Order: sequence, then structure tokens, then C-alpha cells
Amino acid sequence: MAFKRNPQTFNASINEVTIGTGDKAVTLGGGNTFPMYTFDGEAKNKVAIGVEISDSGVDMTVPGIAEYYAGAEGIGAIAKKASEMPGADFVVLTLDGADPNGANKSVEDCVAVAKEVADAIDCPLAIQGCKNIEKDIQLFEKVAEALAGKNVLFISAREESYKSIAAAAVMAYKQKISAESAVDINLAKQLNVLISQMGIQPENYVMNVGSAAAGYGFEYVASTLDRVRGAALGQNDAMLQMPIVTPVSSEAWSVKEAVVSEEDFPEWGAREERGIEMEVSTAAAVIAGGSNAVILRHPKTVDTIARLVGALM
Amino acid sequence: MGKFVIIGERIHCISPSIKKAMETMDPAPILARAKEQLDAGATYLHVNIGPAEKNGEELMKWAVTTIQSEFDNVPLCLDTANRKAIEAGISVYNRSKGKPIVNSADAGDRIENIDLAADNDAIVIALCSKAGVPADNDERMMYCQEMLERGMELGMDPTEDMWFDPLFLVIKGMQDKQMDVLEFIKQLSDMGFKSTGGLSNVSNMAPKELRPILDSTTVAMAMYCGLTSAIVNPCDRRLVETIKSADIIKNNALYADSFLDL
Repeated sequence: MAFKRNPQTFNASINEVTIGTGDKAVTLGGGNTFPMYTFDGEAKNKVAIGVEISDSGVDMTVPGIAEYYAGAEGIGAIAKKASEMPGADFVVLTLDGADPNGANKSVEDCVAVAKEVADAIDCPLAIQGCKNIEKDIQLFEKVAEALAGKNVLFISAREESYKSIAAAAVMAYKQKISAESAVDINLAKQLNVLISQMGIQPENYVMNVGSAAAGYGFEYVASTLDRVRGAALGQNDAMLQMPIVTPVSSEAWSVKEAVVSEEDFPEWGAREERGIEMEVSTAAAVIAGGSNAVILRHPKTVDTIARLVGALM
Repeated sequence: MGKFVIIGERIHCISPSIKKAMETMDPAPILARAKEQLDAGATYLHVNIGPAEKNGEELMKWAVTTIQSEFDNVPLCLDTANRKAIEAGISVYNRSKGKPIVNSADAGDRIENIDLAADNDAIVIALCSKAGVPADNDERMMYCQEMLERGMELGMDPTEDMWFDPLFLVIKGMQDKQMDVLEFIKQLSDMGFKSTGGLSNVSNMAPKELRPILDSTTVAMAMYCGLTSAIVNPCDRRLVETIKSADIIKNNALYADSFLDL
């Protein structure tokens, strides 16, 4: 019997959210098929890649990263290099230095850094906080104000902080936000409901439904992604149709495989290769699960994932 | 399975204010009824213009465009004995939010409403009855089969576009028949068919304060048996909360703490 092609179609689609402005603005989401099922329908927009840089400077312990940014003096020059990395669609500035338990940089200093980065690049920008709820609220309010008109994505708004961040970033300064929940599908939906009940329109927020490096509880991330996309398309659940932006690098480069030295574990081989492998395998897996954008660090990972996306979408 | 489809029943010419609005083609009372039902959780709105022998076509067209243009092409369920009026309504109907529903066909005098739905690519509510109340489920199933054959001959997709109505019966007077109705819903569900009906009929003649509890208990039991839709008053909060909760328990919708707000 001849093979009968039976496309799986849905009367639902993922929302489209645009970040940045002008020619290089990036639109996320928009598809109405399961991830990468381009044989069933239109993916609409390609999975986007964000290149992560930190206000604390370049990680000189990873030779490939140190080499790529060699000669870039100051955060503006680093940001420009990041935006030019082959495969990059947008730049992600992580304000690690703001952490009260770390360098505890002032909000003013962080705003200056963010402005310098925004001025140095012509692609879209995302800002990641320091993961301290109180500090991130203060930071995002001021950075959103300073970067008004740039259509920046703020990562992230959590259950404890969404009200202040949505009010400041989206309502006051027309920026975008990412709703973050930690591998909990019911909370992911609830947070989206709460944000929508503030009057925030669907084109103004994305979500991060949780991330973990491959091998570190990734099966929970995978099943969450599957169920989120299943409900968004199969049940036409408007409260789960936000594009998904998954930070990969922060997870992949902090697990044992990417951290311990070759001297301590000679049988594991070069640390850099292990880190790249963690980053590539995690990114590829979350893309297969439905992420519409991933955040990466290493030039080799960015190149690999860009080629993967280019070949499949 | 998709979420339960609530068809809001309150735009009905039996209501004096709606009757008057239809006579004078005054949109305000109709739009007010539409809005309160949509806000309360209705997916489809039922529009009953009565026998409408004189100006049925004009009236149904007016009702369809008036309601759809105000409420983002909300899908509608059209009800009148005047078949030309239903066709006229469908001719101006916008399908972007769902096909029109023809209410209703039965296995007797109204069987041609299946043809009407088939000719106009509409959904039909197929009442499993011929004249009066079926004696038992064998009789219901016989009518169901008759209508099914007719629909299929006309090229309808029976699992999508024929919604069978088991004929809900009033508890006060036909208490011993209630489990039959539920059992029949189960049979329809097992065959892969969708179902709907005038569920609030079960509480007819019961004291007003008891109707929500009887209706919501019936809907919960019927949803367990596989009922996929009902024509109800969505402004009955208890009923809608029960439907939303049953949709969660059936895994038709994903749970979130605010599920009752959605």
C-alpha cells in the first residue's frame, strides 16, 4: 500500500513576538506545527540565537571564547564582537555584577553598561538580571527607562516579580519581558494568565519554562516543553502560546562536565570541548522540544546550532 | 479531546425583551445578552428567532451580522422552524471562529435539517427522537442511526459535524429515565460522536434555587459519560464552574490556579 501523507495540522499557532528595531529586528514564534515539523506546516520564523556576554567581562578560562573576543576592549567592543559572531541573531547582556552577594554594582553602573552595549550593536538586545529578585526589579526599571525605544527583552519576570517588571518594562517603556517558571507547567500557565490579567498583550511577552543542562534533570525540561507545546497547539490554550526563549549557556557551562579541569580529570579530555558538547546537546534538545530561541556563549556552539537550524527549518 | 463547548441559550424569542428587540430590530438588548453570556464563558451563542414566518430571512441575517460584527465573529447556533431563514443566516455568517450550527434535526419531520446543514457546510444538532420522547435507548439508537445514514449519504463528517442530542428529560416527572440518558451519552461517546442538548431541561419546574445544583450535577455526570457540549445558561455560575472543573479533571484543559477565570 502506498504511503499516505497525513499532515498534523492545528487551528492554533504560537504567538509572534518581535524584539529589537529596524532591519535586524527578530521575530520569534509564529508556527502552527510541532517543533521542526516543517513537513506538516509552516514554521514561520526560524529559531533565533542569542549570544550571551557578561558585564563581568570575557571568560578568559575558555580558550575559544578568549580568542574570539581578543582585542575587544570594554563592554561596547565585546558586545559588537558578540553581535558579529557567525550565527548570532541577538545579543544577551547578563548583569552578573549586580548581584548583592557578588560585586554588587550599583543600578547606575549597570544602566551605563547596558547603554554602552545597546549603542554598540545594531541587532536586538536582551538583558538578563543577576537572579536576585529585589535587585532585578530595580535594575530592569532603570534599564528599561534608559533603553526606551530599543524594544529590549528583559529576562526574566518571575512569580515574585512579574507585577513590577511588567509594569515598568512593558507598560511604561514598551519593552518585552520573559515569564520564567522552573519546570512547572501549571505555574508556567498561571504566570502567563497573571501577566495577561494585567492587560499585557500576547505580542509583548515570551516565556522560559525552565532549563537544565542535558543530564541534569533535563527529562523534566523535555516533558514540560512537550506538554506546553501540546496544550498550546492541541488544546489551543492561549495561555501557553507564548514563544519560548531558553537560556542554555548559563546551565551548560556551570555543570561539572564543563567546569572541572583536565588536570583533575585527564580521562575526560579538554574542558573546552566538554563545555561545547554540553552546550550543543542541551541547545539542540530544547529546540527539538519547542524553544523558539536559545541563549548560547561559545562561538563553536553558535555556529553548530545555527547550521542545525538552517538545515532543518 | 477539546474543551467542552458551552452554547449560551439566552438569545431566545421566548424572552419578552428579546422578542421585542427582534420585532423592532433593536440591537441593544440582544448585544447585552450576548455580552453577558460571552463574559460568563459561552463559546457559541444560540440564536432563536422563533417561527419567524414573515420576515425570517431578513431577521436572521440581521441577527447574525449584528452579533458577529460586535463580538469578533463569535460562532452561532441558529434556531428557527423557518429553513429559509437559517440558510439566509448562514449566507452572511463568518466562519473564522467556527462553523454555524443548525438547531435542530430529528428523525421525524425535521430530518431535512440534516440536508440543510450538509448543503451549507454547517454542523447539525441531531435530536435522537421522532415524535415525543423515545421509550428507551434502543429507540434512541435507531433514530441516531437513521440520521447518521442520512448525513453520511450527504457527505457529512459524522464525528465532527453531527452533534447528537440524547434529549435530556425533566427530573421532576421522569426521574427513572435519567440514567438512560447518561448511558446513551456514553454509547455516543464510545462510537466517537459528539453530543449536546438542552441540558437545563432536567431541572424544569424545580424551585429556582435548586436548578443550578441539579444542572451542574447533571453536567458533571454527563461529561464523565462523554458529553462534549450543552445548550445552557452560561450566567449560571455554579454550572460554568462545574464545567470548567470537569474539563480540568478530564484533562481537556491544562490546570492553572486561575482556571476559573479563563
